[in-house]
Amino acid sequence: MNYMPGTASLIQDIDKKHLVLLRDGRTLIGYLRSIDQFANLVLHQTVERIHVGKKYGDIPRGIFVVRGENVVLLGEIDLEKESDTPLQQVSIEEILEEQRLEQQAKQESEKLKVQALKERGLCVPRADTLDEY
Amino acid sequence: DDDWQEAHERLAELEDKPVASREQDGPGGEEADLLGEPEDTLAERLTRLVIESELEDPAIMQAVQTRVPTQQPGGLNSSIWDSSAVLRRIRGPLLTQEMPSVSVLDYALPQRPPQAREEERDPSERALPRRSSSPVIGSPPVRAVPIGTPPKQPALPNFNQQILCPKPVHIRATMQQRYPAPYGERMSPNQLCNVPVPSPLCHPPRGWEAGRMSPSQFARVSGLVGSPLPSVNPKLLQGRVGQMMPPASGFRAFFGAPPAPPPSQPQHPPGPASHLQNLRPQPQMFRPDTTHLHPQHRRLLHQRQQQNRNQHRSLNGSVGDRGGHRSNHQEQIRKDPYANLMLQREKDWVSKIQMMQLQSTDPYLDDYYYQVTGDGEAPSPFLPPVPWATNFEGSLGKLTVSSVNNPRKMIDAVVTSRSEDDETKEKQVRDKRRQTLVTIEKTYSLLLDVEDYERRYLLSLEGERPALMGERKQKICDMYDNLRGKAPGQER
Repeated sequence: MNYMPGTASLIQDIDKKHLVLLRDGRTLIGYLRSIDQFANLVLHQTVERIHVGKKYGDIPRGIFVVRGENVVLLGEIDLEKESDTPLQQVSIEEILEEQRLEQQAKQESEKLKVQALKERGLCVPRADTLDEY
Repeated sequence: DDDWQEAHERLAELEDKPVASREQDGPGGEEADLLGEPEDTLAERLTRLVIESELEDPAIMQAVQTRVPTQQPGGLNSSIWDSSAVLRRIRGPLLTQEMPSVSVLDYALPQRPPQAREEERDPSERALPRRSSSPVIGSPPVRAVPIGTPPKQPALPNFNQQILCPKPVHIRATMQQRYPAPYGERMSPNQLCNVPVPSPLCHPPRGWEAGRMSPSQFARVSGLVGSPLPSVNPKLLQGRVGQMMPPASGFRAFFGAPPAPPPSQPQHPPGPASHLQNLRPQPQMFRPDTTHLHPQHRRLLHQRQQQNRNQHRSLNGSVGDRGGHRSNHQEQIRKDPYANLMLQREKDWVSKIQMMQLQSTDPYLDDYYYQVTGDGEAPSPFLPPVPWATNFEGSLGKLTVSSVNNPRKMIDAVVTSRSEDDETKEKQVRDKRRQTLVTIEKTYSLLLDVEDYERRYLLSLEGERPALMGERKQKICDMYDNLRGKAPGQER
């Protein structure tokens, strides 16, 4: 039953597997079980997927209730196409380690950048303060 | 007060006959003491406690009062328990004044002889407190016959069942074996209802004075109830305590040390838990893993799964006819035990709210996108226009409610429409302004040149000076012409 033609609604997405991107950068994958008018989501059998390069790791999280304002985007996962991906799944420890290394590298490069700019008399505002409209 | 003596004698006569047929030996051969000799003090105390508590219980007393005692002491069908004198005897002199006209035990006892089993169920059923017939989801189904009700066979040689059975009948039948009945044979169904749940969630039983015992305490007290107790208990409690009790199968899992946690329990393993297998791409069928669930929840889910399956089967006909892709998809949806957790009415409710947000009195005014694009196609209102909020245009503090048709304003750009005449007039004005500006620029640059001449005059040789002055003069005239709207360079 098409609820509202010409509109976007999550009702048709219920009970389907979704990938949800949150504002803090996390990626959740789970079955969308319930919604409300604020697009708060109830995700079932949720897995937090961490991507580093070509590798990814899944952390089982159970049931999530996500406040709607924290969602950047979400999309339905085609269960058949889910399998053919060039990405390689690894264990949780491995991916967490990779993530840590990546964060470390990023922080170091950021530090160098800020240092260089400071020497030239410029300052770059921090990324989180830009997240305002 | 001679009643009890008479009843006692009658019972003695009564018991003489079936004594021979009894299987068990017991010290209950003598009827001197109603409760039997050995281990009597404890049993007696307990029985007293139980009955005392009953007599103080207003619910029981109230129920008892309404019942007309139909059975008179005497006759073949009576027992020593029928008379209220029995109660007196047990309770002792101190409590005589609280004696009810009808004994509690009368109420709890069946009317008929032990042979007529069918009707005997009724009194005990009536003795049950009023219980809601609607089961809590996940709880075991309500039984018309209490679970504690023993089966229809007459004499129960099983000692344990005798103790736990709420039906006095059977105890009476095997009265000879008055062997330890610490719980009191005349347990009313109410007492069983008060047996607390032996779970970590509950407080430990308050103690003896309440006349209530947990099965574990009971086991300790009796000292005779052995291992059969745990197996009987869940069934006993199942019908009584209500939704908190797990079925027998899950009993040990909750209250005993589980032998091993269910395999799919979320651990923090190197590999993902088995229920995650479903999230992995699976070419085969979707296999819901529900072993991590409470047994009741699992049963509920499977029931719903069955319903969904039946529903889909009736709706979809034969799945095999369809394309492979869709059938696989439908299979997956069908086999999802968690589907439709969000009810249809809840979905309707959400979509109703969303549609309300789409409503607007004047889409031509409210629809931002229509204004901007100016498309010929009219925005179709999804619902008939309903008086919506007043127009907030131009208000300080920005009261506009952001919606699909009215997105949040980032820039306070006000669009004003103009007629044709107005257009040309404004155009002329704009052009005139531009011209003026150009003239000023030219004049100023000429002025700069003129000022330059003075400098050059000083630097130049004597011979060149008149020429410079002439040029300077010329420039000044050009400026003058420029300002007068004429092209520079005219002869004076």
